[in-house]
Amino acid sequence: MKRKKLRRAEDLFFTWVMRACLMTAAVVLGLILFVIFWRGIGALSWEMVSQPPSGGFYLSQGGGGVFHAIVGSLYLAAGATLLASLIAVPVVLYIHVYSPNGRLANNLRLALDIMWGIPSIVYGAFGFALMIYLGMRASLLAGIITLALVVLPILARTFDEVVSMAPRHLHETTFSLGSTRLEFLGVLLRQTVPGLLTAVLLAFGRGIGDAASVLFTAGFTNNMPEGLLRPVASLPLAVFFQLGTPFPEVQARAYASALILTVIILTISILAQLSISRLGRHVIR
Amino acid sequence: MQPLSIRKLNVWYGKQQALKDITVDIPYHQITAIIGPSGCGKSTLLKSFNRLLDLNEQVRINGQILFDGENIYAPGVDVTDIRTRIGLLAQKPFPLPMSIYDNVAYGPRIHGLANGNLSQIVTAQLQAVGLWDEVKERLKDPATGLSGGQQQRLCLARTLAVQPEVLLCDESTASLDPISARGIEELLRGFKDKYTLVLVTHDIDQARRLADYVIFMWLGELVEHGPARRFFEQPQQELTQAYLAREIG
Repeated sequence: MKRKKLRRAEDLFFTWVMRACLMTAAVVLGLILFVIFWRGIGALSWEMVSQPPSGGFYLSQGGGGVFHAIVGSLYLAAGATLLASLIAVPVVLYIHVYSPNGRLANNLRLALDIMWGIPSIVYGAFGFALMIYLGMRASLLAGIITLALVVLPILARTFDEVVSMAPRHLHETTFSLGSTRLEFLGVLLRQTVPGLLTAVLLAFGRGIGDAASVLFTAGFTNNMPEGLLRPVASLPLAVFFQLGTPFPEVQARAYASALILTVIILTISILAQLSISRLGRHVIR
Repeated sequence: MQPLSIRKLNVWYGKQQALKDITVDIPYHQITAIIGPSGCGKSTLLKSFNRLLDLNEQVRINGQILFDGENIYAPGVDVTDIRTRIGLLAQKPFPLPMSIYDNVAYGPRIHGLANGNLSQIVTAQLQAVGLWDEVKERLKDPATGLSGGQQQRLCLARTLAVQPEVLLCDESTASLDPISARGIEELLRGFKDKYTLVLVTHDIDQARRLADYVIFMWLGELVEHGPARRFFEQPQQELTQAYLAREIG
């Protein structure tokens, strides 16, 4: 009887501990969103999202907006995610299909985990050193390459986990029908494509929000992106530079820029969720 | 004529020996049942026939399996060809992550068997397993929407669409409800004149119902094999007699 009560109390206690943790996470996220919204909504205007800055934008009297940084950020994050996917997807499929349980796979996972932990400013410095060596200048291309290094471990390890979760029988079934390894890859990809999309989304979200890696490599400009070899503006740096000014009006624009960034990420998340449920129609659970 | 002849086959998982010196012939166009208690190596033996064991990295195999007179473990053998000619129906129904139609069409597509009449092949195979009337309205739906018994029949159609010569069944009715299981049994019985069938089962009654030839395994060794009638009526070995009397198992 006593034991029964104790177990109930235990259960109740841990239920509330978990609820408290959940609340903490929700409240923190809510506060961040609230602050961004509260302080940025006043400065948000159609001009803000549709025009590049005009003269004196950072000195409070200028007009224009951060359209150049919105486009620049989308280019940077999309380019980096695409480049990282082109490397990560074959790597992950290789270690799962061609060399499973091998030392290569384990070493690769370790390397990716270490890469994940490296601060993005270090990638920025590395990218910068590489640019100097190659005689490149700050540009969209250099920013994409550096940012790709930042998001590569996120994409690869997330996709790796997804592929690890694929049912063991998929292997046996596909091969028992006389498939080659390449044909098996096709089936494996069908099974894991929703997870791959999640990995891509995570990488994109991380990439579009990163400031340190693009600081030296993509540079910053008040112009619209002009080409792969020209510098581009990005939203995180726009936030950074605007927040760094002493003018309250410009700081408010920083919050408005952060709000735009948040809305972009939210929109892409929702679109991805919708496509995941469509693409996941045939997935074996 | 023996499509499959096993000669001194030994299999190890790491250091543990799973099959010891197996030598037996599988008769042509008959149903051969491999019986024995769990862990006796019957599934291992079955999966050695189409080299599915190779997927396990720990596995070590020596000996020969002759298929149409050629050793399938000889160097340079095309494994995909072996697996195409020797099909497998697994223990649990496992549809591929695609539609009902695409599941059956998968094999003919990769092997280029369709020659422009893919949908005829799919229809014919679904009819052959008695699934056509149940799914003809929803061929584009996910295969996972089918019931367990329907899924297993779909898997059978998918295997047959590759046009194998031998069909291996690894306790293929064990995870199904009794009615679906009987349905699969009836199908297998009807396939005898087209395919050589080998099925693994731990169900002695199922072996009695279906088998023409029986192989009895115990702890990785082949204890006794022979035509079903003789095997069940006059088992030679004491171990077989005890197993059939359900004194051990």
